[in-house]
Amino acid sequence: MKGQEFHTRYPGYNVLDKWSTPDWDDQTRRAVRRRLEEIPPIRFFNEHEARTLAAVAERIIPQPDRSGSEKVPIAPWIDEKLYEDERDGYRYEELPPQPRAWRLGLRGIDEAARALFGDKTFVELDPLSQDVVLSHIERGDAPGATWKQLPPARFFKSVLSLTIVKIYYAHPLVWNEIGYGGPSSPRGHVRKREGSVDPWEAQEGKAG
Amino acid sequence: MNLHEEQERTLSAPGIHGERVPMRDLSREEVDFCIVGAGAGGGVVGAKLAEAGFSVVILDAGPHWSPVKDFVSDETASRKLYWTDERITGGRDPVELGSNNSGRGVGGSTVHYSMVKMRAHADDFRRRTLEGEIAGAELCDWPITFEDLEPYYEEVEEALQIAGPTYYPWGKHRRRFPQREHELNASANMLVRGCTKLGIPVAPCPVSTLSAPHEDRPPCVYRGFCNYGCTTNAKSSILVTYIPRAIRAEAEVRPNSMAAQIEHDERGRVKGVLHFQKGSRELFRQRARNVVVAGYAIETPRLLLNSASALFPDGLANSSGMVGHCFMVHSGHQVFARFPDRINQYKAPPGLALTEHFNRTMPDADFICGYTIEGVGPHPVDFAARIATARGLWGAKLRRAMLDYNYYSGVGIVGEILPQQNNVVKLHETERDQYGLPVPHVIFGYHDNDQRIIGHAIARMREILEAAGGEDTWSADRTAHLLGTCRMGNDPRDSVVNADCRAHDVPNLFICDGSVFPTSTAVNPSLTIEAIAARAASRIGANGRSRVNPS
Repeated sequence: MKGQEFHTRYPGYNVLDKWSTPDWDDQTRRAVRRRLEEIPPIRFFNEHEARTLAAVAERIIPQPDRSGSEKVPIAPWIDEKLYEDERDGYRYEELPPQPRAWRLGLRGIDEAARALFGDKTFVELDPLSQDVVLSHIERGDAPGATWKQLPPARFFKSVLSLTIVKIYYAHPLVWNEIGYGGPSSPRGHVRKREGSVDPWEAQEGKAG
Repeated sequence: MNLHEEQERTLSAPGIHGERVPMRDLSREEVDFCIVGAGAGGGVVGAKLAEAGFSVVILDAGPHWSPVKDFVSDETASRKLYWTDERITGGRDPVELGSNNSGRGVGGSTVHYSMVKMRAHADDFRRRTLEGEIAGAELCDWPITFEDLEPYYEEVEEALQIAGPTYYPWGKHRRRFPQREHELNASANMLVRGCTKLGIPVAPCPVSTLSAPHEDRPPCVYRGFCNYGCTTNAKSSILVTYIPRAIRAEAEVRPNSMAAQIEHDERGRVKGVLHFQKGSRELFRQRARNVVVAGYAIETPRLLLNSASALFPDGLANSSGMVGHCFMVHSGHQVFARFPDRINQYKAPPGLALTEHFNRTMPDADFICGYTIEGVGPHPVDFAARIATARGLWGAKLRRAMLDYNYYSGVGIVGEILPQQNNVVKLHETERDQYGLPVPHVIFGYHDNDQRIIGHAIARMREILEAAGGEDTWSADRTAHLLGTCRMGNDPRDSVVNADCRAHDVPNLFICDGSVFPTSTAVNPSLTIEAIAARAASRIGANGRSRVNPS
């Protein structure tokens, strides 16, 4: 069955149930509300780039267990980061500035897809073929002229997958899946030893 | 002159409980000291100089945080605490910047540090004497000894109310910590269990979060967001300790002020700091009789190099050519394992136990110096990034691995890094930042000795985790802290500042931050930075106003 492989230990746990408890303060509610309700529009990428990025994100973090609108959005936040020019505080000297690196990267992904799979763009490929394309980039042997300007392995490891992973694991839906306690201000925690869990933390095996 | 202009503006600053506190406006005055950077170095030296009666302005490039209003229980929303301006990183082993090893805003990186407050040891101050010459490394003794710094360690430990064990097994015999140790969390218990099984001495970690109420601050509630800003004020950051002291002593703490250049007169004495203020590309001038640079080991050399002039063509205070050189980090490699019992590594301060057993030159090892092993406790974004990068995981494999997040526990090191001449912070040749200033270009590569330390440490960490019952161990490459680039020393030919943090070349210029470390030590550096700053302030004060106000 689709998505069964991501079976959570914490059925019934919803970190948002704590929204109005002493675990969530106003500033945290504001920050997380934005993540849940104010998905930014695509402003940096063109339509094809945005579709390609969404398809890449679905392979880096597959969400077959969630239908379209339930999926944790990834591409809009990357688009916003680039549109707002939010930097990371460092750039490897072999990489171009962040906006250019992303545009080149997405172009290179299509080039590699075409070279490997008979002139199809990345979004036209089936998931297994898409993984083959990404594996070539990860290993640093992706075909295509663009990858002469952009070191593929560095781009994959330090930019592409890292950015996607950080966005995914910042989402409350995902905190539920992994049983993360989430915000805890001002209440904090009392039970700290192995195997001991506060009543307001994720409980295991309890259907909701 | 217009009378209106002569009046002081009424300024206020955020207090630690969400209130506003009145603050003096010194922007029109020639102050005794203008300090660049309000972190571990600048906060301490600024507060102490203000309390000694000097007029003090402390500039910081970022905001003045209100802990109870601005700090968020969320990893992503806390990125605002980091220095995210462009920096180019390269060399054989490029250093990842912009997160754990950076800080922007009043309090600097102490608002998100792990609070591990360790002293360096007597041997750390005389590595060259003890180890001799090491090929490829610029090993040297410090111009101060442990005994010179010891009273200032005590002073800072008292001010920050460090909570630690009754008996601390390593280093010179010490007096009790001001506060009792914290109850260990699951990760710390795991480290204790593993070490004990292997016969490795292990102890609760001295940390700067309150275990009992102190003045107007409550004890720690173990929310575990220490690396993202403490909302309850239990954490003794510089923001909630020395900064309020500085403001009470009539210093002005000026946020959102990015220093661009230190100005000097025709005799080569500094006379003020040009800085940009938020939302403006106009330069403001703060006149000062003395300047203290405390921007940490990238921004400090960058500011000195950006202050080059006809009189100082290679940068301010750089006649030795050493500004920017011998840049160091700590190896911060971590090892994680999955455990049969639930850990919930996000609870309580991340490092509540440690061992300094390997923090020494070991007779049977093929390297000098060593490392400390400490508990760690990454939240999901940080942990996912680490496991993805370390194990090359993506796709369904990553999602499956992360389902066990609560069952992982890890440890990490603070590993000594030898100073090397070619590990350097310089100005990038072409890249400019949003102010038009050359951005820093950081070049780093490990020394053979560093690599051997890392290899040894990873093997020991795996053994400890396995002895504690962990399975499926994996290690993550990581660094922490920024040190060197303006080393202190007695000889103006090969160092930038003297033992009192005064620049050899410029008598009214001081540097008080991690840049002055001649060697890295293998302990978390914040306490030593603060102790050096406390000592510098005392030495400056003892010299009296006439000596420090040469004009």
